[in-house]
Amino acid sequence: MLFSLAWLRELSPFEANAREVARRLTARGLTVESVSEATGDPVLDVDVPANRPDCLGHRGLAREVAAAFGAPLAALPTTVLGARPESAEAIRVEIDAPDLCARYTARIVRGVRVGPSPAWVVSRLAACGVRSISNVVDASNLVLLEIGQPVHFFDAARLTGRALRVRRALPGESLRTLDGVVRALGPEMLVIADGDRAAALAGILGGFDSEIGPSTTEVLVEAAWFRPASVRATSRILGVRTEASHRFERGTDIEAPIAAQQLAARLLEELASGEAAAGTVDVYPAPRPPLQLSLRLDRIERLLGYTPPPDRVLAALSAVHLAPRAIDVGRIEVTVPSWRVDLGREPDLVEEVARHEGYDAIPVSLDGLPCGVPHPPDDDPEGRARAILASIGFQEAFGYAMIGEGEDDEFVRDAPKAERLVNPIADPLAYLRRSLLPSLLRSVDTNHRRGARDVRLFEVGRVFWFERPPSLPTERRCAAIAWSGAARPQHWSEPPVEIEFPDVAGVVERVLSGVWPGQATTRRLGGPAALHPGRSAYWTVADGTVVARAGALHPTRQRAFEHPIWLAEIDLDTLAAFPATAVRSTVVPRLSPVSRDLSLRMPRDRSFEGIARALRSVPAPAPARFEVLDRYEGPPLAADELSLTVRVHLAPDERTLVDAEIEAYRSELVVVIERVEGVRLRTE
Amino acid sequence: MTDELERIEADFVRDLATAGGDPARVEALRVRLLGRKGELSVVLRRLAERSAAERPAVGRAINDLKARIERELAAAAVAARSAGETVRLDRERVDVTLPARPFWVGSLHPVTHTRLELERIFRDMGFTVETGPEVEDEFHNFEALNLPAEHPARDESDTFYLECGLLLRTHTSPVQVRMMRRRAPPIRMVCPGRVYRRDLDATHLPMFHQLEALVVGPRVTMADLKGTLENVWQRFFGADVRMRLRPGYFPFVEPGCEYDISCGVCRGTGCRVCKSSGWIEIGGAGMVHPAVFEAVGIDPERCTGFAFGLGIDRIAMMRHGIDDLRVLMENDVRFLAQFPG
Repeated sequence: MLFSLAWLRELSPFEANAREVARRLTARGLTVESVSEATGDPVLDVDVPANRPDCLGHRGLAREVAAAFGAPLAALPTTVLGARPESAEAIRVEIDAPDLCARYTARIVRGVRVGPSPAWVVSRLAACGVRSISNVVDASNLVLLEIGQPVHFFDAARLTGRALRVRRALPGESLRTLDGVVRALGPEMLVIADGDRAAALAGILGGFDSEIGPSTTEVLVEAAWFRPASVRATSRILGVRTEASHRFERGTDIEAPIAAQQLAARLLEELASGEAAAGTVDVYPAPRPPLQLSLRLDRIERLLGYTPPPDRVLAALSAVHLAPRAIDVGRIEVTVPSWRVDLGREPDLVEEVARHEGYDAIPVSLDGLPCGVPHPPDDDPEGRARAILASIGFQEAFGYAMIGEGEDDEFVRDAPKAERLVNPIADPLAYLRRSLLPSLLRSVDTNHRRGARDVRLFEVGRVFWFERPPSLPTERRCAAIAWSGAARPQHWSEPPVEIEFPDVAGVVERVLSGVWPGQATTRRLGGPAALHPGRSAYWTVADGTVVARAGALHPTRQRAFEHPIWLAEIDLDTLAAFPATAVRSTVVPRLSPVSRDLSLRMPRDRSFEGIARALRSVPAPAPARFEVLDRYEGPPLAADELSLTVRVHLAPDERTLVDAEIEAYRSELVVVIERVEGVRLRTE
Repeated sequence: MTDELERIEADFVRDLATAGGDPARVEALRVRLLGRKGELSVVLRRLAERSAAERPAVGRAINDLKARIERELAAAAVAARSAGETVRLDRERVDVTLPARPFWVGSLHPVTHTRLELERIFRDMGFTVETGPEVEDEFHNFEALNLPAEHPARDESDTFYLECGLLLRTHTSPVQVRMMRRRAPPIRMVCPGRVYRRDLDATHLPMFHQLEALVVGPRVTMADLKGTLENVWQRFFGADVRMRLRPGYFPFVEPGCEYDISCGVCRGTGCRVCKSSGWIEIGGAGMVHPAVFEAVGIDPERCTGFAFGLGIDRIAMMRHGIDDLRVLMENDVRFLAQFPG
């Protein structure tokens, strides 16, 4: 909110200049965002916190300035005597909804002549960012800006029945507000009604039919207290926010309406030649006693870490009108002024003391930090996955948790329905993702369009599976990669190598073994619909749970991209659920290993897994390991054939093997392998 | 006999010169002279034909010559090998100025780097690192934090709601709520994580990263808050960083404050980064509000606590001199490559 320094000075005569005022207000929690000295009168832009509606007027802010500088504060406007007939004879007010309106005051001002405002009013309003409308409307704005209490002016002649009723809107009722819009009202909305119908939306906006116009001569000044939650709810439902609603929904001073209408009456007399009626209508069914609070001095120590001397505490509380009384040693009682709606508990008073003493007075310490906090075991599969992927050349990307409708349907299997946002920013960000891959693909596309062919991105993040809404979803921690371009770092010494399935599988298995050491996984053909069915695989653990999927992007999707893309997604949560046990060390054999090669000829559709299973089934004379040395397709082999060379490593650990043993084992391997249909030892 | 020796010597000198360092010819020369049937061996055997008086002098002459020949042949052989080696080494020379074989260097997102650095600092200071759900309910995100439904500071327009009634957390504070409900004090924790607000413009993304700290114990004060903040930011930005607290309003703390650090760009003299104030606003902080303690079942008479928060993205931007927020979510590989992991 914008504040005129000259106006503040009228309300509290202090010496300090704008810069000093800004510094002191900021130190008191009323942050001055900027000081503009464009005109002779400096203007402060103050960020008034949501809990300080009392500072949404010059008088309220002047209280803080006065407290800061020890300056006096100008008295409230004096009572306007006024003429007969009294306001109470001219208008009747009834509150039907005292739960929503705790106080309603009204005053009549007659003989008003609507016209332009004098120059001082125009410039004062302009300093505060408000445009001058007419002398009458400007008077209401001056009241708002000075006291912070919104007042509403009705054209009294246009109200029927000379009676106002503060009530909830009736079924089917609507109101044409002064912006010309006809608004349908709900049953919880509070209105000010005249004899016929709703004439204003309480605390938010006046009605079109009773608006002040050029011909207005009799003004009914309304100053009331409306329940913040009610104003807030109505304002939100109707989508209308006004200077008035902004203040009412934060909480206005229930004792301010009388002062506000006094000031309004005086301004209408001064600016528009009006004549205020004597007296006021004040419906205040249950006057609120001021709140009494108690402050223990040791509580200041416990919260701030130090205690100012008791006389300083009393001075601080006095400066903000809390009327402190020292009750006994170590305890002070205060009376909370009606405008301080933010003060309700003891720590609020501690803050008042701290604000007045300055937060710089708080000492610096680490003595109170508690010890003996149990640290949870370090379980950070996300961190491990990140470190591994970054170490093998992938770059970490960030994706939004929100994606478009159906964007992840073909990237997941057996997933529950995706959850939609009620109020998304845009359609492409309307659903919570169940897979990291769609947003990663978007990023690959961005990079391709910017001319990059080599893209190796990964994301480690959460996906959201709503298994039983409205229960909290399972938030799975996942790692995903998207890879296009070269399979290995390019160098002039060798031709570029394109990515193949084993490259992607290698990355997946590097992450699996790094995140979850020592756990066996099985790899099988197949993947979600978005991947190439013949070039994708999934990994399972012993109980059949799928822990990873990877493969080439499906050709129908691939067409939209400039370069071939390979994808993988790893479920880190399923992995983390298995206990990672410390590796058991084994004795390393000191004998030299031996090896034998087997060159096989077989149909193309045989999987290596079948060969490996057969090889493993033969009892070996020493621990054996099988390595694929070479795989070949082409002449002189038939079109549906391939050759595979497997190297058998034997690592004897107790005694050196003799040739006869090794040859006997090899012969047995050949026998077993040739039992696999179509597989033959190559003999050339 | 002497003539014979002189001839052998003369031939040797001539032949060694003509051998020209060829290892094969040097070896042939050695065999011709020193081999079992070599010229010198023959001469030596004929020494027996000499008279006893002559023998010592002739013998000495033969041995001198033999020693000389052996010495010079050895030197020639070494020279020959060395010459061959030089040729071979020269042939094996590579162009060391050619580009080396590159290794792929991956990278971590700059926000991850900053988060990890902050986590490291907090762990060093005895804080635990905790996480919690990103999809939350009203209780944990608002109500338990002294933000009832009608609270003016609770702006629904900022919150993403889900059709099932849940919401995306607007801060990491619900992690603190869950922690306080699960575990009795003492608590000394930080909770980093992704948070969501319905905002998208030049200075706001709908998803960003926060880190909040919470300390609860029998005698935690605002002085400890100050000490902790000072410690953290001096470790992060350097020992000369100063810090200040200003009163500020957050419903879940009382007294509440905002905290600033001295501007590292202009060292407090005023610049564009700190808007000429010499201070940069980092986040909010304060003493845990008794209403929050009551909501999670901690007695505010027995325990006090402080909490503070910060935006990791903004710290990362300050740390790396990133001006435009949007690059954080574009994932351009050229941008990411600047932050090797």
